[in-house]
Amino acid sequence: MVAIGYTMVYGVLRLINFAHSEIFMIGGFTGFFVLKYSIGSSTPTGFSSILFIILGILAGGIAGGFSAVVLERVAYRPLRKRGAPKIAYLISAIGASYFLINIAAKEFGRIGQSMVQPYIDHPIATIFGAPIQMYTVIILIVASLMFFGLDRIVSVTKLGRGIRAVAQDSETASLMGVNIDKTIAVTFLLGGFLGGVAGFLYALNFGVLYSMGFTPALKAFTAAVLGGIGNLRGAVLGGLILGVVESLSVSFVNPAYIDVVAFAILILVLMFRPTGILGERLGRDA
Amino acid sequence: MENLFDVSGVSLRFGGVVSLSNVSMFQKRGEILAVIGPNGAGKTSLFNSLTGVYQPQEGTILFNPKEKPQLSIIGKKPFVVSDSGVARTFQASRMFNALTTFENVKIGAESHKGIGVLGAMFRGPATRRDEHTSDEHTWSLLEFVGLKERANIIASALSYGERRRLEIARGLATNPEVLLLDEPAAGTNPSEKNELADLIRRVRDEMGVSILLIEHDMKLVMSLAERLYVLNFGSVIAEGTPDEIRSNQNVIDAYLGTASEEETDNA
Amino acid sequence: MKFVGVLFILSELTAVITGPPGNPTHQFDGFKGSISQATSLLGLVTAPRWIVFFVYGILVSLIVYLLRTKKEVVSKALELQRSASSNKNLRRIFFSAVVILVVLLPTLVKDAFWQNAMVSQIAVFVLLALGLNVVTGFAGLLDLGFVAFYAVGAYATAWCTGALPLPALFGLHLNTFYAIPIAIALAMISGIILGIPTLRLRGDYLAIVTLGFGEIITVFANNLNGVTGGAMGTAQVPHFAIHLGPLNYDWGIPPVPYYYLTIVFVGIFMIAFSLLEHSRVGRAWTAIREDEVAAESVGINPLKYKVLAFAIGAASAGFAGVMTAAQTNYVTPATFTLGLSINVLVLVIFGGMGSIIGVVFGAVAIQTVTMYLIHNPPAGYQPQDLYMYIGALLVIMMIFRPAGMIPSRRRSRTHASSVSGQE
Repeated sequence: MVAIGYTMVYGVLRLINFAHSEIFMIGGFTGFFVLKYSIGSSTPTGFSSILFIILGILAGGIAGGFSAVVLERVAYRPLRKRGAPKIAYLISAIGASYFLINIAAKEFGRIGQSMVQPYIDHPIATIFGAPIQMYTVIILIVASLMFFGLDRIVSVTKLGRGIRAVAQDSETASLMGVNIDKTIAVTFLLGGFLGGVAGFLYALNFGVLYSMGFTPALKAFTAAVLGGIGNLRGAVLGGLILGVVESLSVSFVNPAYIDVVAFAILILVLMFRPTGILGERLGRDA
Repeated sequence: MENLFDVSGVSLRFGGVVSLSNVSMFQKRGEILAVIGPNGAGKTSLFNSLTGVYQPQEGTILFNPKEKPQLSIIGKKPFVVSDSGVARTFQASRMFNALTTFENVKIGAESHKGIGVLGAMFRGPATRRDEHTSDEHTWSLLEFVGLKERANIIASALSYGERRRLEIARGLATNPEVLLLDEPAAGTNPSEKNELADLIRRVRDEMGVSILLIEHDMKLVMSLAERLYVLNFGSVIAEGTPDEIRSNQNVIDAYLGTASEEETDNA
Repeated sequence: MKFVGVLFILSELTAVITGPPGNPTHQFDGFKGSISQATSLLGLVTAPRWIVFFVYGILVSLIVYLLRTKKEVVSKALELQRSASSNKNLRRIFFSAVVILVVLLPTLVKDAFWQNAMVSQIAVFVLLALGLNVVTGFAGLLDLGFVAFYAVGAYATAWCTGALPLPALFGLHLNTFYAIPIAIALAMISGIILGIPTLRLRGDYLAIVTLGFGEIITVFANNLNGVTGGAMGTAQVPHFAIHLGPLNYDWGIPPVPYYYLTIVFVGIFMIAFSLLEHSRVGRAWTAIREDEVAAESVGINPLKYKVLAFAIGAASAGFAGVMTAAQTNYVTPATFTLGLSINVLVLVIFGGMGSIIGVVFGAVAIQTVTMYLIHNPPAGYQPQDLYMYIGALLVIMMIFRPAGMIPSRRRSRTHASSVSGQE
């Protein structure tokens, strides 16, 4: 089921926010739309080849990571240096995301375009009578790789520990010698990279459009909240659940309302179990 | 006569960390009671539990106001607890920085009535009367704490000691029966400390408000408090009058080094 | 060196932003055009755009540098402004002049486009900005779905006057005028309904949830053909008309009468909100915004006040909805986009969060510029580019002047005193 495929994308995408939960999910927007750069890099010839896929992934990821870092530098760091209230970050995030979306629209046209397929999409196998497309396989492989990679980075490396420290208590972290600026930049880099890759994978199937990041980002947020903010495995779990629910709903509900389903889940979760399934504490900073 | 506060068997945990462990205490009406203990002993957590900010997993906390019904505090929201007659100050003075001194106190004075949106917009006679009453109440409180001259100054411009007094005035504005003071003397100089001690005594003597106090300054606490509880690692390790506490071996052990340093500093 | 690099990037970025658009098949046309197209440099010389913009950048930084070093000039100007704004009589004169100007405006501006714009765009946006100011400026809540209240007001009007497929209450087709209180009430109710479950959430989550809610409303409006007329919009909504005894007036099509009607209501809302700001409700909002925990400790129920802010903000937006429905005779879901919510947010942020005069100024200023650009578009400008500028403006304001152009006096007191230490 394709659903499972792109739910992993959601889960992975949301990880951008796992270190700094005050920061808005704009990374999602950036990652996705920036992804379009990869159209330029994979020339419209291509036929099957893992090479092209990898190229696309790398291109998307690097573009995503780069833009995320720039974004942090321009839109967030000045606020951080000033100690601005959280609402300021949000507003800046919204502004930046809006700006980026529209400049993309202006430069890249307002019509959606499909991506050139660097491989032939055909069913590889069938499980329980449902055909598994090549696309799904690709997503599963990439997503798992990224997830495990990130998991290792966060739990094992010094950098990962730094990230977790900053997430919990930035003042103490800096006192202990963690370079906050650099850590945050790297977090954005990682998150942006993942976002960019996710965008590329998404685009393979759905094409690109200047506003392509919007709905997936919201759903990614829902997935993360569902699974528990700040928790990697939670995000993946959330993505899975959300994807399954969505694909099931297609059979019951008017397709126009699918997105509403996702939002409804978001609202319900936030109201009744804000910590998510595996999550940490949300709500007030006491 | 019943106690003002009856706390029994309260335990508070955060994830794996035990903040309060089977804490039982009580406060008599009209008492100046103090809670002391080394840093991290759970004193502020106790305050937060008494005001509804934290919800202990075990135990009961009963509050017995004079003219209002008894309130079981655990599970109630802080503003409900405030309505019932419990006021508090914070360790790091939490002012409403965008408001003036006067407005800060006035907020406390007017908070226990209904919302009155229509009144706010149309300024009928009832609203004006209420405003007048709140204003007078606020002025008298400002005079009581000695901030009358600073009334129209923006709160963020006040000095440290003035902010403490403002917090006390704001708390008193809600007409409480008990005022919880969280380290009121922290960061103040010796003369400010004496003024503070006098003020606290006047609050109890002239306004009939009981006092529950967290403090690290031993000299201040010993001279002010009529009774003390000592907390360490979330448990009550001693209770008694200042003299009893001073000679209590458990307390001395807990404070090993800290108390004697403070004594030498203050001497 | 680093400075020159940054300057270069910024100037080129500006060139691209203001340059010709790309298109789907040749995506880099826009970039190439922005860089290489020939433009005149101050009307003197023609050169490729990238050079021109770099020169502009240099000029701008020169000017800024001069201003900075010539501190006396700048500080004297600031002093003048400060003494002027605190001089009560001057303020009164200025204020009366503005009021007179506003009242006389329709006689001064005769152009049909502008007259229409004054009402449908500027005045309506002022109302929306006032409403969002209560929610975001007074109470500090970020509501990204604010447009939903606007929609409720508009659709409610359509419903009351029988323009919806959904039959009106008791089959009564009301005069549009009488729809005003109903629409406002419905908007307020929707504010309360939205608020109660969501206002317990922390800032960022509230923003996203309200955003989601706004989107849901749009989806419903577009798809509930039986209720809202779907994507095609509603049937004709009649214009305002009063037929009460001696009073007989038909608003009809010309925009000027709407202008006056709206101005009256804008005035009413401004006064009401100002009174609210300086009442205990306003103080409670400030307290909650500053320090919610401390506010609760003095007996303020944050949820109640936050829901109240939502309801009151919604009232203003709801009324704006009525105005739009009545003036344009027609309600369509295409009006109520997320872009609109963000547009209103910019007006509030730019003008001055929490400052009534500020947001009115912000709304008028930005919407006037918007209208101007639509009416006289410079080369390469597409109407949708507006949103790009809006986004950029949001970020710029947050970084450089978060209190807005005309900061609310309460907020500016905080800033001033933390700098000077005394009032």
